[in-house]
Amino acid sequence: MGLGVAIAFGEMLSPGTYTNVQITWLHLPPAPGVFPNGFSLVMGTLVDPLSSLMLVVVTVVGFLVMLYSIGYMHTEHGLPRYYAELSLFLAAMTGLVLANNLLEFFLFWELVGVCSYFLIGFYYEKPSAASAAKEAFLVTRVGDIMFLLGIFLFFYAYATAGPNGGWAANGFVFAHNGSPFLAGVMGRNTPLLTVAGLMILGGAAGKSAQFPLHVWLPDAMEGPTTVSALIHAATMVAAGVYLLAVTSVFIGFTPTDQLAIVAVGGFTTLFAASMAVVHPDIKRVIAYSTISQLGYMVLAVGAGFAMVGLYHLFTHAFFKALLFLAAGSVIHALGTQDLFKMGGLKKHMRVTAAAFAIGGLALAGIPPFAGFWSKDDILGSVYSTLGSHPLYWPFFLMAFAAVFLTAYYIFRAWFLAFSGDHIRDPTLPPPHEGPWVMQVPLVILSGFAIVAGLFVFAPGFASLLSGAGIPPTYTPTDLGLSAISVGLGAGGIGLAWSLWGNGRVYVLPDDSALQPLRRLLLNRYYFKVAYDAFGLRVVYTVARGADFFDRFVIDGTVHGFERMFGAASDRLRRMQSGVVSDYAAYVIAGLLAIFVLLLIVGPYVVARLGGA
Amino acid sequence: MTTLALTGFLGLSAALLGVGVFGILTRRNFILLLIAVEVAMNAAILNFVYFAAFPPNGGSGLSGQAIAVVLIGFAATEVAVGLAIVLALNRLKGTINVAQATDLKL
Repeated sequence: MGLGVAIAFGEMLSPGTYTNVQITWLHLPPAPGVFPNGFSLVMGTLVDPLSSLMLVVVTVVGFLVMLYSIGYMHTEHGLPRYYAELSLFLAAMTGLVLANNLLEFFLFWELVGVCSYFLIGFYYEKPSAASAAKEAFLVTRVGDIMFLLGIFLFFYAYATAGPNGGWAANGFVFAHNGSPFLAGVMGRNTPLLTVAGLMILGGAAGKSAQFPLHVWLPDAMEGPTTVSALIHAATMVAAGVYLLAVTSVFIGFTPTDQLAIVAVGGFTTLFAASMAVVHPDIKRVIAYSTISQLGYMVLAVGAGFAMVGLYHLFTHAFFKALLFLAAGSVIHALGTQDLFKMGGLKKHMRVTAAAFAIGGLALAGIPPFAGFWSKDDILGSVYSTLGSHPLYWPFFLMAFAAVFLTAYYIFRAWFLAFSGDHIRDPTLPPPHEGPWVMQVPLVILSGFAIVAGLFVFAPGFASLLSGAGIPPTYTPTDLGLSAISVGLGAGGIGLAWSLWGNGRVYVLPDDSALQPLRRLLLNRYYFKVAYDAFGLRVVYTVARGADFFDRFVIDGTVHGFERMFGAASDRLRRMQSGVVSDYAAYVIAGLLAIFVLLLIVGPYVVARLGGA
Repeated sequence: MTTLALTGFLGLSAALLGVGVFGILTRRNFILLLIAVEVAMNAAILNFVYFAAFPPNGGSGLSGQAIAVVLIGFAATEVAVGLAIVLALNRLKGTINVAQATDLKL
């Protein structure tokens, strides 16, 4: 952790530096038509403004979650496995952040994916956990394949672009001599690059659980809460946003790509937030919130503000990890995740209640908490592009509307869990605060959730953010927008209080016109049902066809040969009678055959030898 | 002597070979089988002797005689081994009928 922060400080002191250390793994000679100037594979580390910012997030949150795990996981079995997988994850995530070329990035990208699979399936005896792990792996795999295709297309399109004989000859590194390697050719707009950018977006959508690949993240909550806090809130899911940021800073998107990214991000903010509104599971509410917040980041990166997106990533990592760890504290105390069974916890768990409230305020975008600065910066930045990109309008409005829902759902969760004077389910054990190893991370993260947004005014941090791309700024438009969005946030909190405050439970009347909407939201827009049906009908049918082909055509051929030789040898072995006379007969038959051959071949031989 | 005489002698040894082969294929008694093998082999030895008497291309014919003598030695060793097998077989099976010695059958 210390090292990560130190590197970030170093970066702050000399902003905009690209420190690159690399070794060449493999160098292939030029291949005409494919790589005219040769092809290199390099492994290296690149420290730049983007990666140093991510490094702080990964190392600080990683350290705090490790600390928290000591308390949270102490009753679990398989702890060596847990810590080994968590450590592998942190190593892979650090590698991903520091990777200096796309291939290396992809390598670590897959590593964090597999760690996520392991850790979601940590309670592998539980069928729901095992299937959630599988689901997460398969859905992100769809994105990974697209990412890989995007890499190939970028490699193809840019193989000879850039200095020193082209990108391929230099190992596809991001930066070179202190500036993006492809600086001279960024902004090209060809159909090929558009498709490549869309593929990258697909990869990022898979990892960051953006629509339509969002289904896995809520189910990933089957894993331990610590894992949710670290991997599925602060770091791994942010890797998708990081990928988009890295691509936009070092490789470049086309305008069509940008519109697609804005559309995905903007739509996801509202889409995910709406599902969080009705959910009864405390962790899943936060998971939907994560999807929604990642949508804001994607929106910002798509609109061309990579650093603004990463800034929100930075603040979000702290307050979202805080929310998860606070929720984990509740789950640890009660053993349930059902909000409707909780209630009145603030008397018993003061630290947790305060931490959750701080995280909630930060999430809702109430100043001066962290989320306010970064989220309003996103909204303001996107707003400033609307004049030149009128197509961004609907997605900007969606993101704006999501502010209200965000504030509502997170405080609905807070009121349900912490307000009131008693626990609704009397069978639950009496709540208690966790040990100090659980409280200390909560306190530290609460501190970050309050002040991380103010970092933007610290000169070093600001210059760090300005290192690559457009820095976060505040303009009079921002202030006006901020006023509206804070108003929306406060309105959301107020609505939550009026419906759920003080231990109230709001029950939607059965004849309410909102009931169909509620069912739609509870069923997650039927996306999971549709995907399952698709999996069952289409994929399973194809798989059965392939299985049939494998079994009857390929195996059939092999087994056919096997049976043929088996039958032939079965016949042949009957010759082995063991009777000497029979063998003698075979010998003589063979001799006769040789004689016959000689009588036929003999004349020719004699003729060749000259009639001797 | 003439080529015609050689043809006659070769006919004799072919007949001997036929007798030997017939014996090999039909006898079940191991000793009779050995005798049949000897008959067939002697047909071959006789051939060497004939060609030694009528050497082609004006040779001395000595090599044919030498090979015939060596082959007689071979035949003797073969019979020695064969008879040893007969004894072993008799001890093992109580019979020297080769049709009953089928231990090599799969």
